[in-house]
Amino acid sequence: MTLLIGALTLGLILAVLSLGVYVSFRIFNMPDLTAEGSITLGASVAAALLVSGHNAFVSTLAGAFAGSMAGLATGLLATKCRVNPLLSGILVMTGLYSVNLHVMGKSNIPLLEVTTLADLAERLGERIFGGEVNINLVGWTVSVRDLSMFLGVLLLVTAVCLLLYFFFRTEVGTALRATGDNPQMICALGVSVDTGTIFGLAMSNGLIGLSGALLAQFQGFADVQMGIGMVVLGIASVIIGEALVGSRTIGLLIVGTVMGSVLFRLLVAIALRWGLNPNDLKLITALFVFVALVMPDLARRLKMRGNRIEEAA
Amino acid sequence: MSMLKLHRVSKTFNPGTPNEVRALIDVTLNLAPASFLIVIGTNGSGKSTLLNAVAGSFKVDSGTIELAGEKITRWEEHERAKLIGRVFQNPFSGTAPTMSIAENLALAARRGRSRGLGLAVNRRMKNELRDRVRSLNMGLEDRLGNAIGTLSGGQRQALTLLMASWLRPELLLLDEHTAALDPKTADQVIRLTHDVIERDKLTTLMVTHSMQQAVNLGDRIVMMYKGRVLHDLEGSERARLRPEDLLSRFEEVRRREQMDGAVAEMLTQAYV
Repeated sequence: MTLLIGALTLGLILAVLSLGVYVSFRIFNMPDLTAEGSITLGASVAAALLVSGHNAFVSTLAGAFAGSMAGLATGLLATKCRVNPLLSGILVMTGLYSVNLHVMGKSNIPLLEVTTLADLAERLGERIFGGEVNINLVGWTVSVRDLSMFLGVLLLVTAVCLLLYFFFRTEVGTALRATGDNPQMICALGVSVDTGTIFGLAMSNGLIGLSGALLAQFQGFADVQMGIGMVVLGIASVIIGEALVGSRTIGLLIVGTVMGSVLFRLLVAIALRWGLNPNDLKLITALFVFVALVMPDLARRLKMRGNRIEEAA
Repeated sequence: MSMLKLHRVSKTFNPGTPNEVRALIDVTLNLAPASFLIVIGTNGSGKSTLLNAVAGSFKVDSGTIELAGEKITRWEEHERAKLIGRVFQNPFSGTAPTMSIAENLALAARRGRSRGLGLAVNRRMKNELRDRVRSLNMGLEDRLGNAIGTLSGGQRQALTLLMASWLRPELLLLDEHTAALDPKTADQVIRLTHDVIERDKLTTLMVTHSMQQAVNLGDRIVMMYKGRVLHDLEGSERARLRPEDLLSRFEEVRRREQMDGAVAEMLTQAYV
């Protein structure tokens, strides 16, 4: 049960990352590699602030803000400087590696001695559940710490989803969606595509930074290597989400992305339990995304060939 | 008083390379308010370049462009959208495919204005856009929540026209907007175009390939050739015009060009 709750909590934290990836990858049609750096940036900024004695909420928000600044940098490179968008992300991601080392002062900051959001959630949980260490949840024994962290993250992710959903239905939000969907059209309607893209990337990486700040507090440390493979992970969640909800409306896709992230984390937890070598995880994730990307095209071609054979017959 | 003033506008693409194209050469053109100008010409005559120069797809090399009393020569494309409504040749260019009909129209309802954090498609907006979409007579008013990508090219072009004219633009730019449609749909869109322009008394610049459209629509025809205005027909001269006359003028140009080629060849043989 601890394993399940842990996997769910991690899945929800990474859902915030996946939502960020959804914004850049699906809404702006841009696989933004900044994510690999900005998740670490969010984590390291939050960790550095926590260690220097700042409040957990302030530190988390600062992590998110730092992430959005990284996205802003990528956006400026890709629009004002006319650098290829993919390359812009790679440049910022690479630069961030050094930035992150400077922010943390070393390659790893443990957070065991400071009061993190996880600790705050635990304290609140203890008060709510009457000071028990373990409680009985429909026949399972669950530690209050795990349960409170899970509920806290669930609340936060719900809030993020609602905010995103309403934002993308506002005048500004619809203009941003149209910027990704048809730049020519939105330009003819008086919206600067450059500004829209910069704003979108800042927003995407703000979410990713937030996810990084949460992740560091959940796992108890920030590490300069923690961003590796995060873009592919996010894309995998987005794709699973799309398959789960099978719809193109924004609300369902947001929910789908969260579900995709949680489901993916559960599958990974089960696979690891069955003895999957953790070293193979990234390879399997990459293969999964590859298959999911080529599948629709492959299916269409097979179908076309099938039709041709039928016609010939 | 003119609504649109182009003064000695020139544009050269890829200057200094073997692909150099002098797309516009010293073009001067004045367009009176509420007039409907049709620009025709062969491929590469500069007619689309002229339209794009006004729309702001690129900055011109020299000359000035004035629209509704504003000097817009240095304005960015999205800034000019405050004054200009546009319909593109490609029916897919004017609408955002994954967004709903209602959302697309709501975007157009704030063309060139500030956009805030209010709901884009609120109740009042919904009622207004249902009425306007009903005027298209395409049955789309019951499908406002559908993604635009599921509609046909003709339907999308009709909606784009509605969007371009939603806030009465100072200038309506139509870039061969029926060229990619089948003849029946093209007729429908042309009729709609005519109605919209008549109703709102819009100043319009339309580029077309179709001689038939050129003589049936509009009150003035400009014929472009190699980046220059070759003919500018208005008033009685314009009124007597038939498609055959336009074709014969094209033919004349073509013949002159062929002769030029022959002369050049003769000269080359004689002197090189």
